[in-house]
Amino acid sequence: MISAGNDIVALQAVDTQRTQSPAFYSKFINPAEHALYKPDEISLVNFVWLLWSAKESAYKYLKRFDAELVFAPAKITVQQLRIRTPLKTNADAHNQYSGKLRANDVALSFLSVITDQFIATTIDKGDVKWAVKQIETSDYESQSKAVRSFLLDDLKMPGTTIEKHPAGYPVLLKDGKELDVAISFAHHDRYISYSIANS
Amino acid sequence: MDRKEILIELKKVLTPYTENKEMLEGINEQTDLIKDLKINSANLVDIIIDAEAQYSIEIDFDAAEKMYNVGNCIDVISEKINKPA
Repeated sequence: MISAGNDIVALQAVDTQRTQSPAFYSKFINPAEHALYKPDEISLVNFVWLLWSAKESAYKYLKRFDAELVFAPAKITVQQLRIRTPLKTNADAHNQYSGKLRANDVALSFLSVITDQFIATTIDKGDVKWAVKQIETSDYESQSKAVRSFLLDDLKMPGTTIEKHPAGYPVLLKDGKELDVAISFAHHDRYISYSIANS
Repeated sequence: MDRKEILIELKKVLTPYTENKEMLEGINEQTDLIKDLKINSANLVDIIIDAEAQYSIEIDFDAAEKMYNVGNCIDVISEKINKPA
């Protein structure tokens, strides 16, 4: 079974002062993960939200295998974080990262981009395509519609529709039949992102 | 503080993080923070930090991970409030 998982954090929408408080980040970043923080490479705010987005991406990825899974970021451990070279995304990224994490017994790799505006992450498993877009409005309904249109417009496949699985994740259909690809959506404030994975 | 009183205070904690104020007014113990109130997951830690301040308690993430619906939030807060010092 193929899966996909992504996340986006709009940096304008986060409380940067609160983010830098140990009382905040220690809720989901353990001391071993904090040791990955390199102040000369990444700000603390970006580091904290990068780890958050990696963990959220992993949760979405694993939710397809366990419909009852609950998001528990403290139980997903980022084990490696590296700056890397250009990624398969449309984002005009300032910094690009790859990393490894572990959730229960599952090891996953992830890719992230950080700009001044957002941090976007996807799980890197299979043939992954991944994109980010800025939208005009930030209400939930607009975000939800926009991210679906964004993917369908990029796919350019007539007869393609998106439905929500009872477990909560999106599925892609063509002429009513589920396709053998996995999709994941993320939105925060005025940013939307999708990830699509082929086996 | 009983469950009804905790619920009243919890609404104040959740208010800044949901655009669905009508649904917030009518929340019950089954209301899901993300699915029903459309709270962005990026705000979940904010809610925990605000709840800690609101009720003068400390919520570790083992407890926090249960706080995905209103009833579970009340369970966690109630347990922490009533925990002997």
